[in-house]
Amino acid sequence: MVFLAELVNPNVSISSIGPELVVALAGIVAMVYDSFFPKQRRVTGIVSLIGLAISAVLLGIMWSQIQPVSTFNGMIVHDNLRMAFSFVFLFVTAMTILISTVWVDNENVPAGEYHALLMFATFGMLLMASGNDLVVLFLGLETLSIATYVMAGFRKSDLKSNESAIKYFILGSFASAFLLYGMALIYGATGSTNITEIAAKVADPNFPALLLIGAAMLIIGFGFKVATVPFHIWTPDVYEGAPSPVTGFMAAGPKAAAFASFLRVFVLGFPLIAGVQASGYLHDTWMTVLSIMAILTMTVGNVAAIMQNNIKRMLAYSSIAHAGYALVGFLGAGAASNIAERDAAVASVAFYMLTYAITNLGAFAIVTLLGQKNDRRTEFEDYNGIGFKSPVLSFTLSLFMLSLLGIPLTAGFMGKVLVFRPALEAGNTLLTIVVVAAVVNTAISAYYYLRLVVVMFFRERTTQWLEPKMPIGLAAALLIAVIGVFYFGIFSDSVIEKFSQSTRTVGAVAK
Amino acid sequence: MDFITENLLTILILLPVFGALALLGHQMFWKQEGQLKWVTLLFTVVNFLISLFLLADKGSASASGFFFEKNIPWIKAINTNYHVGVDGLSLWLVILTTFIMPIAIVSTWHAVEKKATAFYIFLLLLESAMIGVFVSLDLLVFYLFFEASLIPMFFLIGIWGGENRIYAAVKFFIFTALGSLLMLVAIISLYYAYANIPGGLAAGTFDYVVLLNAMKMGTLNIAPTAATLMFLAFALAFAIKVPLFPFHTWLPDAHTEAPTAGSVILAAVLLKMGTYGLMRFCFTLFPDQAREWAPLFIILAIIGIIYGALVAMVQPDVKRLVAYSSVAHMGFVILGMFSFTEWGMQGAVYQMLNHGVSTGALFLLVGFIYERRHTRQISDFGGLANVMPIYATIFVITAMSSVGLPFLNGFVGEFLIMVGMWKSTILTITGSTNWNYVATMLAGTGVIFAAVYLLWMIQRVFFGKVTNGKNRSLKDLSYREIGLIAPLVFLMVFMGVYPKPFLDATEKSVVEIQKRVMHRAGGEVAEAEKEN
Repeated sequence: MVFLAELVNPNVSISSIGPELVVALAGIVAMVYDSFFPKQRRVTGIVSLIGLAISAVLLGIMWSQIQPVSTFNGMIVHDNLRMAFSFVFLFVTAMTILISTVWVDNENVPAGEYHALLMFATFGMLLMASGNDLVVLFLGLETLSIATYVMAGFRKSDLKSNESAIKYFILGSFASAFLLYGMALIYGATGSTNITEIAAKVADPNFPALLLIGAAMLIIGFGFKVATVPFHIWTPDVYEGAPSPVTGFMAAGPKAAAFASFLRVFVLGFPLIAGVQASGYLHDTWMTVLSIMAILTMTVGNVAAIMQNNIKRMLAYSSIAHAGYALVGFLGAGAASNIAERDAAVASVAFYMLTYAITNLGAFAIVTLLGQKNDRRTEFEDYNGIGFKSPVLSFTLSLFMLSLLGIPLTAGFMGKVLVFRPALEAGNTLLTIVVVAAVVNTAISAYYYLRLVVVMFFRERTTQWLEPKMPIGLAAALLIAVIGVFYFGIFSDSVIEKFSQSTRTVGAVAK
Repeated sequence: MDFITENLLTILILLPVFGALALLGHQMFWKQEGQLKWVTLLFTVVNFLISLFLLADKGSASASGFFFEKNIPWIKAINTNYHVGVDGLSLWLVILTTFIMPIAIVSTWHAVEKKATAFYIFLLLLESAMIGVFVSLDLLVFYLFFEASLIPMFFLIGIWGGENRIYAAVKFFIFTALGSLLMLVAIISLYYAYANIPGGLAAGTFDYVVLLNAMKMGTLNIAPTAATLMFLAFALAFAIKVPLFPFHTWLPDAHTEAPTAGSVILAAVLLKMGTYGLMRFCFTLFPDQAREWAPLFIILAIIGIIYGALVAMVQPDVKRLVAYSSVAHMGFVILGMFSFTEWGMQGAVYQMLNHGVSTGALFLLVGFIYERRHTRQISDFGGLANVMPIYATIFVITAMSSVGLPFLNGFVGEFLIMVGMWKSTILTITGSTNWNYVATMLAGTGVIFAAVYLLWMIQRVFFGKVTNGKNRSLKDLSYREIGLIAPLVFLMVFMGVYPKPFLDATEKSVVEIQKRVMHRAGGEVAEAEKEN
């Protein structure tokens, strides 16, 4: 098969999109299987997990083998950014499947559909990291978005879930339109949709102003997807209404995927080219805009989170704030003066998304479990005084809160240190201000993260408390999250190195 | 034996963690909380005994001037090492920590009934973090312990504290976290300052010793504005921790609401992290900035001394009174440090230990009476000396040590600080006014105020007739309580009469820091030393 395809067109390499294909295939198998043998939740879940595992193995092999830099005429690329983020996505989806077990069981969710959608969403995310062409990125984004629109509304009889899906769909389409328009303008300005070629065109001393407008549109589109202020308005409502496991997934996976594309287009597509005034202008503009957005995102996210009384809403605002912290690393990548620094900064963003995903998914696992059917118990009050009544759950949740806050020895701390580093490396005043804003915001965030700890441990419970039973899948997810939080907090060395190490590629690019 | 001396500091840090794990296991398998305190006590006492090895073998100082050094790569990608070591500055603080822990644990013998497992686990984790702070020589590792010490304390105050505990715990956490996070930015900036040395090694470093050497050699020169900002970030983190006026407002709340063991540890050890950090990092890494900003710190310290004393005077609550006296005492420590004279700085280090012993003891004593009466209001007491003579005697001795009565420890520290400030040249002389003298005199009034508020409180609580009927049947101190306070009282007298061993141990390191601060950075160090 692979042979044949390569005979027809030497630039087609099926193996280079192997991880993506396996995931899509697993989704199709799950869907087909479900239509013949409905109501077999375990099977579709296991099929999906196996698909993810094979995909991860393929990725691992690709990482260690020598690969062409790009295939499919430059549409698919093989680099650090893709590898690092792809692992994050696979991890997020696997965790989501494990966390969903309790929800799928309790509420009789059509599991086959759910797992299939999840796998298609993952396929979209993987494409968003591997695409080196605006069209591929958009394809990935839409595949992902359509799947998540449906997942947000999976609780069909629940008004809030419906509201969440509709809101997400309408605003999401709106953002996609911006994105597409931006891509069209960039195509108009540069005559190409290939990011490498766009980057080459940026060096042209008299590029058209259209490029700036296109870039602005892209910022709006991506800004919506990663939920940065002022394009964040949809987040709290959507996150609150969607079923908790789906919310956890949305906060971790699609956000990371959007960051992958965002990074690719801006850091690799609109670089600073020494001696070319025009590229400097474009670069300066987007760096300044994103710096301001980063500060706004962190501040608005954290301040609004303080005022929430619902835990899912609080986590939604916290996810906005975290997008802001990740933007700090993004800016560091933009300001990097050489390729090694840039790769390290990109890796730091991927690592940040990984640590955030682990911690946040862990938190959502507990929120799902404690929320019970239809997420009934998601107010702060519902957690009053459960600390010593369910010590394992409460201490675990506290650990996740501390990690989100960025306390040393947890994954969140290493994530923060790593994204702040590249931003300070540049020695740029604006970026230093952004970092200072980030740490001040971290201190602000202490208030609401600790509030959950305070509620659980320092208050007395007045109503009865029945500890929910923990299904095995969820327990496994929690265990992975706890180990992950400590592992990445203490022994993060190997992962960071792996993420920032250059991939082994053959030099020549077949165009 | 070799194993112990080789890995001494690591053992000191890890042993309490193992203790915490042991408690967790004990709770899981036996579910008998009664034995927990014994297990905890065992671990802390063993840790104290092991820490005494620090005093034994002194022959092995490394080139960087630290003993028991250990340097193992941790996260290679960002060049962080687990680098620990002690010198004269940290030696006694480590021992103070291990010494105060068993006392704190015995003090809770009957006081902590609810959720005892968690309580002891948090105490043990706190001990690890505190020791880690004093021995880390890698800035990132230091930050890690500095921040990690917040969590157990947050829980100790929040779960086992008084009525207003939630407010106090959150305030404590956010105040200290804000300061330390800015320090993190400065730490990372230092990393890149080192990485960007022209023609130097590409990798940055968090290693304090490497950074300091580079600064001394003149290879690492940070632009004055950047250095000032970094200095301020470090100083803010430590000033909040100390706490220096006007960042002190978390302290009275935290102290008052914390359980007795928490208050003792807070006063005895946690506050010292701030003063230790200032001396260790701010002075040596940013000597020029330290000199430049010294007047501000001296002014704030003096305000702290006087303000703390005045506010303490009007407190109706004994524990709050002691808390405000802490503000005043820590003001003295800051004053001594920023005099940049050997006398003043030695006095500051000595006063850190004194404050740990005396104020720790005062909190213990307040805890004793609170356990009996469940009130700390001065107005609820009166004439206690008639009912509890032993208690009254010990209380008066402790208070005198806190005031600074000659032959008790407080006197030595305060005397050294005052002399140091008097001899200092850090403040300018305008016309006929030597502001160093003025500062010393103002600080001196603080000593008088201290005598006023403590003696007045003692008079109202202990002397006169027993006014409140409930106090008539109070039992005097039990053997456990006397045993608890006796080592502290012994230290007060010993340190007051014979301070030599303590001061000798700290002298070398303190002088080194003092020289570093008073001389310009770079190659001029050597010349300046020759002139001396």
